Amino acid sequence: MKRVLVRQTLVLLALAMVPGIGQAVYYRDRVSWNAPAIAPDEVTLEQAQSWGDSVLWVDARPTEQFEREHIPAALSLNEDSWDELLPQMLAQWSPEKHVVVYCSSQSCAASHDVARRLREEAGLKNVYVLHGGWEGWSAAKK
Amino acid sequence: MTSKVQAFLCAVFVGAASTAQAQLAWEKTEIELNPKAGEEETVAHFKYENKGNTPVRITNVRTSCGCTVANYKRDELAPGEKGEIAATFKIGNRTGLQSKVVTVETDFPGASIANLVLKANIAQLFEVQPTFVYWEGGEAPKPKTITVRAGKDVPVTKVDVTTSSPDFTTKVEKGKAQGEFVITVQPKDTARILNATLTIKPDYPKTLYASARVTGAPAAAR
Repeated sequence: MKRVLVRQTLVLLALAMVPGIGQAVYYRDRVSWNAPAIAPDEVTLEQAQSWGDSVLWVDARPTEQFEREHIPAALSLNEDSWDELLPQMLAQWSPEKHVVVYCSSQSCAASHDVARRLREEAGLKNVYVLHGGWEGWSAAKK
Repeated sequence: MTSKVQAFLCAVFVGAASTAQAQLAWEKTEIELNPKAGEEETVAHFKYENKGNTPVRITNVRTSCGCTVANYKRDELAPGEKGEIAATFKIGNRTGLQSKVVTVETDFPGASIANLVLKANIAQLFEVQPTFVYWEGGEAPKPKTITVRAGKDVPVTKVDVTTSSPDFTTKVEKGKAQGEFVITVQPKDTARILNATLTIKPDYPKTLYASARVTGAPAAAR
């Protein structure tokens, strides 16, 4: 009875591992096991910092959050006040700048929306989203 | 494993799964809205019912964006009780398809989190393309154009443009299509940094904006 139980448990475990192993083999070069994947329009904090003074930080969070705290020298640009804030941001822009947009965390979409509009509506190039957002930046500073 | 043991385990798993799904039941977990052009906010009503035998408590409701506020009347729902979460999405200056998530947490183990998706197709009254024109320092000050297109059913016959800086001149002409206007922008010179906000006023109650800029000298020339 015991041997049968152990054998059947092992068989079930082996069967359960088959799709897992298959997925691991199929996606071995595509998925990082330790960190969420970086989207094509995203940059890491290290990469953005390597651009030095040519980075123009854009904070896509609501104005109250920006006023509480933000990345030094960042400019506020959110979709609640787009028409008012965009001219202020563009007045600081120049063609050699790398625009890096961030919002609260990796899961928020505001930075992607703002980056898309800067590319599509204003026609800017070199516009990126900060991977990890404000949370990632804050964690790196601690 | 005897067939009795297998049947017992099977019953336990199936029973646990069905009980978990039978608590807070949502009428819809995704709602798509089509607010009219010019509306300031739009509301999605996510209706639910406690289909279990025990009370369910909503412990936390959060939204993926500061632009969305979720309201509900009761924290605790008795068995059979119905309610709704009203998610109000503030449109602001947003355009295109917007997707916002409302996450609802309850105290019921195993089925404690529900992600509700509010999608809004925001119709545009006007399209301005591009919203920004620029010249690099020293570049020939040739005119550049911005096209304004009125949305369907927006009756526009005329557009006026004013610039915040006398260093730029503007001219408006009717475009080829109905409701289309072409704004020609030109700096007087490109020897220094210049900025201007262009205020675009159609004969319709809506003001649009674009920007013009002469940047510093190109990086290679510095």
